[in-house]
Amino acid sequence: MSAFAFYVYCIAETAAAAQLPAGALPVAIEEDAKLEWISINNLAALVSQVPKETYSEESLADHLTDATWTAIRAMRHETVVEYVAKRASVIPLRFGTIYLERSGIEQMLNEKGREFEEIIEHLRGREEWGVNVYCDRAVLLSSITSVSPVLRDLVERAQQASPGQSYLMQKKIETLKVDEARTAVSRIVDEIEEKLKAQADEARRLRILKVETTEHGELKAKFAFLVQRSGFEEFRDTAEQLAREHQAAGVRLELTGPWPVYNFVQDLKG
Amino acid sequence: MSTSFDQMIVSEEWDSTDLSLLETLDHVLNRGLVIAGEITISVADIDLVFVGLNVLVSSVETAHEVLRKRQTE
Repeated sequence: MSAFAFYVYCIAETAAAAQLPAGALPVAIEEDAKLEWISINNLAALVSQVPKETYSEESLADHLTDATWTAIRAMRHETVVEYVAKRASVIPLRFGTIYLERSGIEQMLNEKGREFEEIIEHLRGREEWGVNVYCDRAVLLSSITSVSPVLRDLVERAQQASPGQSYLMQKKIETLKVDEARTAVSRIVDEIEEKLKAQADEARRLRILKVETTEHGELKAKFAFLVQRSGFEEFRDTAEQLAREHQAAGVRLELTGPWPVYNFVQDLKG
Repeated sequence: MSTSFDQMIVSEEWDSTDLSLLETLDHVLNRGLVIAGEITISVADIDLVFVGLNVLVSSVETAHEVLRKRQTE
């Protein structure tokens, strides 16, 4: 039994793989191994050998708890997939797909060949773009009065009221501001999703893994869009337009990409 | 050009030295096609890993170390 297993990065067409000589490929997940293509008919899986000792189920679970170890390998995985995605239509696999034998990969390519070919065809000429929506709460709260008729009315009445009444109304205003701000953000996020979706083939709303507060404010929504290369200019113009429109409300958009199409392959049966 | 718009990565070259590390790790670890290999990492494992990575990445020095390794090796 060999001391090595096979780590799989992505799947492409055999013809495309032939254009990407193994010698020119980036560093493998374990740097002393070489990347190679394992091909069956029209499809090829990009793999490299990894020591079974490190990548056995138990040992791998241990290594994964070492964040630096994992981050370095995840970045190598990404570098390899990006290299291929830049040059060919490719199915990116999630980190940590490992086969014990070469024959296991050949069998997998055989069994799922049709499905893979369909996915590759569907993704051809398309890229994934990420859009993150941030909101600066302080800016939003200070701008909310001008866009909310109810609030504006209340503020005007509070100015004319007696000191006692004014105090109570002020409390009401603060509560209302928070409610209105929440509604405004959710409306803006929906609008961003809808308008960008119209410029894309597909859209996904992604879960936010933790509340990220950055210099741009708090992360409110995270989207992935599948965009045709030929349609990217329009997509970006729309995003810029949206960013300008909602800047005054403290909303910022962040565009990331192009990514390998990570978010548009995971729904398919594995 | 609107100042409220940040394009983190340029489309010309996929050179991503300035790309958010956490963003990349999120893609690689949480997404992508899942094929049942012979050794697999469970989703629960990955979620745990991600918590650790959040901590790691918040240390700028370590994040740079990871990026440097990615570039040079």
